[in-house]
Amino acid sequence: MTESSPILSVDRPLVVGKAHAESVVEHDTAWTRLIYVYLACATLWLVVGTLIGLYLSIKFLAPDVDHVPWLSFGRLRPVHTNTVFWGWTSLAMIALVLYVVPKTNQRRLYSFPLAWASLALINLAVIIGGLCLMAGINNGGQEYREYIWPVMAIFAAGVILIAYNLIRTIADRGVEEIYISNWYIMGGFLWTSVLITISYLPFYQQNGISETIIQGYYMHNAVGMWFTPIMLGLTYYFLPKLLNKPIYSYSLGVLAFWTQMVFYTMIGAHHFVFAPTPWWLQTVAIIFSVGMVVTLAAGTGNFLLTMKGSGRTIARSYSLPFILAGVISYFLWSAQGTLEALRSLNLVWHFTNYTVAHSHLTMYGFVVFLLWGGIYGLIPRMTGREPSHLLAGVHFWFALLGYFIYTFALMVGGTLQGMSWILEAPFIQSVRLMEPFWLLRAVGGTMMFLAHLIFAYNLWRMRPLRAKREMPATQMEALA
Amino acid sequence: MSFHKNHWLLFSVIFFGYIALSWIVAIGPAIWVQDHAHALPGAKPLTPIERRGLQVYVAEGCIACHTQQVRPLKMDAVWGRPSAPGDYAYVKPLDIWHPYAPAVLGSERTGPDLTSIGARQPSEIWQYLHLYNPRSVSPDSIMPAFPWLFKVVAKPPADALVVPLPPTYAPPSGTVVATDKAKDLVAYLLSLKQVPLQVACGSGAK
Repeated sequence: MTESSPILSVDRPLVVGKAHAESVVEHDTAWTRLIYVYLACATLWLVVGTLIGLYLSIKFLAPDVDHVPWLSFGRLRPVHTNTVFWGWTSLAMIALVLYVVPKTNQRRLYSFPLAWASLALINLAVIIGGLCLMAGINNGGQEYREYIWPVMAIFAAGVILIAYNLIRTIADRGVEEIYISNWYIMGGFLWTSVLITISYLPFYQQNGISETIIQGYYMHNAVGMWFTPIMLGLTYYFLPKLLNKPIYSYSLGVLAFWTQMVFYTMIGAHHFVFAPTPWWLQTVAIIFSVGMVVTLAAGTGNFLLTMKGSGRTIARSYSLPFILAGVISYFLWSAQGTLEALRSLNLVWHFTNYTVAHSHLTMYGFVVFLLWGGIYGLIPRMTGREPSHLLAGVHFWFALLGYFIYTFALMVGGTLQGMSWILEAPFIQSVRLMEPFWLLRAVGGTMMFLAHLIFAYNLWRMRPLRAKREMPATQMEALA
Repeated sequence: MSFHKNHWLLFSVIFFGYIALSWIVAIGPAIWVQDHAHALPGAKPLTPIERRGLQVYVAEGCIACHTQQVRPLKMDAVWGRPSAPGDYAYVKPLDIWHPYAPAVLGSERTGPDLTSIGARQPSEIWQYLHLYNPRSVSPDSIMPAFPWLFKVVAKPPADALVVPLPPTYAPPSGTVVATDKAKDLVAYLLSLKQVPLQVACGSGAK
């Protein structure tokens, strides 16, 4: 057996050597430190938030695993969702924004102290918010609106301060045109500032149904007018930068931007299809959900056509595969959202675990994968220190396979749940049949959590060292 | 002057455009519904104890797994008649920390719908057993147990509400009695019943 196998030969090793990032290109250590600390805090929340998620997944299989009020499912579930939303994803996203906006505007960030203050505020909100939820102090709201208003006000203050910081940076830009990334990023910040304000003002949510209308608007926009536009904006920077070529079409980006704003805002009511909310509002939401296909096709097409012909570069990079996976996820799982809004399919999937799969497919497969692509693409270029290439690969595959197992289990299980209700079987049947799928979900969740530990280690490997030790003498001279 | 070069123009359109759209799909409809969803004839507002029970319901996150909305679909008929906006007219803000109506409609049915749980399971004792440990009455349930809504006493006082647990679920010694929070929550759950919609034939809009 000296002949090597066709799969694992010398020419085709199991792991491909990845290209190294070029040496340090950023010498602004204050800037590097700011961004790195944002990411370090974010990653702490990732590990904490997903550990809680993993523990919750075990509770579906062993509901009596503990009888501690603070760890009870109803109290802990919003701790998981809010920690990964506002702690991990938001902070990591803001870290990358704090690089991309100054870079594309060719100006230093307007105020570093303000940026540090925002970090402190957001961390504070996540800490107090989590403790309150575990103590049974919540807003009485649904998804992502569980923090009571004083806590959300702290978070909102953090977001608004960054928005101000960014506007001042952009207003003082060193280039004439505002690069498309900044459109999406500022969209995300301005829309979210408005969204939190509208959704936390009480005047028009004084009874059950009026509150439900605001909740539908809020839970939908908190994802799609915060994470989606900012992640797309970041990708409009990182993708061409890492591929070293221009974006396929600038105009497609502009088209997707305006349709995002007009279509996406209208579709929150599709979270309450068949509810006693106004029927016309639900129909409007469903129609614009279908309209989102335009935005999706424009955005994804633009990214994929930019990547066309760069297969080798992507394969040789440890950051670009994350971006490729994120872009494909963006299209697939957002399109899934459109399908779920259609009344005929909503009938089967609404209220089931299918929706849990959907939220993980989009938030994780799309948003988080693009974040990781950006982080692996950027940080080595700022600190001059690379992650373990092999571990970055292990991170990628564990996260990808983990979330596939997690979500496919819940999609199949959720569909069966819906079928069982349609067949008017006793309700407990829909609980019993889920058991194997909940087990698979815990297995996938474990793989995802392991991937997060590996990522945390890699982030530590990329940490900035003191400039004096790190910088070669020649560069020091060049700077002097 | 264009969006590409004038940041004030771009950001103003983004900002005010979004507020305008939000008026159309969120604030406007919410105000309209708030002014037009009147309580159904025969519906009663929550009593003080039921209101406190709703607070426990909210604090423990029951909303995460239980809906309170019956859709106009055949499969939902098991939970009652289709819900109407008026069914939620008495779902009101709780206090200064909860200045909005609690989101009782829910978004997931990991557990059954509770729209008419008060009619479906009217037994108080069943409710207490179920809250202390759901497995004691529903072996395959995965609902969390809420033992902290109860306390174990050596000798229950005469007026205590004793929970008659089967031996498997009873603590090794002592008797389980309900705390006020458990009583509040059960009062709230038992209050969940649909008011019949009486539509007389021929009385529709002409």
